[in-house]
Amino acid sequence: MKRRSLELLLTYAGLLITYAILLLPIGWLIVSSFRSNDSIQTGRLVPALSELTLTNYIEVFAINNVFVFLANSVVIATSVMFLVVMLGSLGAYALSRFALRGKNLLMMSTLLPQFFPYVLILIPFYVLMSNLGLVDTHIGLILTHTSITLPFAIWMLTGYFNAIPRELDQAALIDGCSRLGVLFRIIYPTALPGLVVAGFFAFVVSWGDYLFVSILSQSESTQTLPIALQAFMNSLQVKWGMITAGTVVAIVPTMLFFSLVQRRLVAGLTAGAVKN
Amino acid sequence: MGWTFRYSQLSMSQTVHSDEPPSVGSRPVTHLRSAEMRHAAFGYALLAPAICVILGLNLYPTLSGIFTSFTDQSLLNPNTWRAVGWQNYQRLLTDPVFRISFIHSLVLTFSAVILQVILGLGMAHLLIRKVPGIHWFRSIAMVTWVLPIITAVVIFRFLTLPNIGLINIILTTLGLGSFTRNWFGDPAFAFLLILVMHLWRNVPFYGIAFMAAMQAIPQDLYEAATIDGASSWKRFWHITLPNLRYIILVMVVLHVTFTLNNFDFVYLSTGGGPVDATEVLATYIYKQAWSGYMLGYASAGGVIMLVILVLLVILSRKLIGGFAEK
Repeated sequence: MKRRSLELLLTYAGLLITYAILLLPIGWLIVSSFRSNDSIQTGRLVPALSELTLTNYIEVFAINNVFVFLANSVVIATSVMFLVVMLGSLGAYALSRFALRGKNLLMMSTLLPQFFPYVLILIPFYVLMSNLGLVDTHIGLILTHTSITLPFAIWMLTGYFNAIPRELDQAALIDGCSRLGVLFRIIYPTALPGLVVAGFFAFVVSWGDYLFVSILSQSESTQTLPIALQAFMNSLQVKWGMITAGTVVAIVPTMLFFSLVQRRLVAGLTAGAVKN
Repeated sequence: MGWTFRYSQLSMSQTVHSDEPPSVGSRPVTHLRSAEMRHAAFGYALLAPAICVILGLNLYPTLSGIFTSFTDQSLLNPNTWRAVGWQNYQRLLTDPVFRISFIHSLVLTFSAVILQVILGLGMAHLLIRKVPGIHWFRSIAMVTWVLPIITAVVIFRFLTLPNIGLINIILTTLGLGSFTRNWFGDPAFAFLLILVMHLWRNVPFYGIAFMAAMQAIPQDLYEAATIDGASSWKRFWHITLPNLRYIILVMVVLHVTFTLNNFDFVYLSTGGGPVDATEVLATYIYKQAWSGYMLGYASAGGVIMLVILVLLVILSRKLIGGFAEK
């Protein structure tokens, strides 16, 4: 009994330290976003209650074009999410359930680009996009983010679909269901958590991408939050109240989405590694 | 992919799937060849859009980038270029900043991935304990992983500010005021901070993934070992670790790629400075292309990165174990 409670104590101590390291920086950011700049400048650990304010948020939303950046981020990330789930699930269904000649080669060519350096891809990509007239357009950015997240999405969805017993398809086929019907009536409902995780993954990557947007977006009409935040951080060095508030604004949507999917996240993300 | 797990270890895979042949083989014999061919054609049609996007927007640019690396293409006039052979590569090898970036990239990737595996195993050991409230800890574990990298960078820059950063405030409060500094501005600490940001973001992902895999290890293996008098260290070494080999391999391959490829952490936090102290291949190549306008030269650097990535993935596979091993 004594041993058991010692173990309990050590476990909690370990968890406490781990989670303090993970969460305190985020907590500090959030608290600071509600402090006035003067309050932050005092360098005090705990602000007085009277120092708490919403001014930072009001100032952030008063910035020129801030809603354009927010809308760009939302439009691009959600489009990428739907495109990736759609194209990825069709592809994964083919790889999981169809006897295709050259399947290994197909699998390789979908997964391999996952290992290509983005900074290398970006160079010809820019030339390609400018020849297609897609530089500084939403469509260009949506296509870009789709192409970089699709390999991983197909990999994990194929793993997910492989885990669905084939007997279910067979039964549906015998009942007169078409191949596409099997996808919609059997695979999609059963693999819904997997589809959500694939969508979440695509959303998070697109929402947070700085590298591709920094080159392919050339005006405020296509800029997303990460670009705006970076510009903001470098131009307003002293106004940390505003910077932290802007950061919280960029975090909130992914956090809300995360709270919906967190239970399935890891099972989904590593599904591609499951027995094939 | 022929990647296999010894045990279906993730909650979603609890339905054990048999190794039966693909559905076509088990369909009634009455189906004619033409039906099978139509069936396969439908499969290709389903895959076509995804393959087109990936080949067109990933594979083609990469091949084109390899080609560009042998030219003197410039961003100022991308449509006129001439072939220059290995000239870009020769220049890279004599460029001291490229060499520094190369070393930084390798050091960062190795140290980040090795530390992440070790810390991830530690975190998995905590998360697998069935103590009250553990579900709460498990559910929020990945919170740092979903943050956009720019926000993680803001958080760390804010924490390490010279006068008003939390780290310095704490140091001063503890009477260690002499240790305070502008952390990101100090060449000795800037690189360390980049490493810390990688750990902060990725370790929980390892922890949760390893924990999920540990849950699938049959308990009787541990019971039998305990009866045989194996110490907890021996049980970890001989039961846990071998059973985690495949998930470790998957995580290592994913994060070798992530870390070597990662541009955002370095570029957004230090921009490669102070005085190249944190310059890595990704940021160096980006600057050559988009500030130096030398697309051909930058592509050559990118090709070297590609080669390193492929070699590291092969190396991880060799070290940790074969994919197809039973």
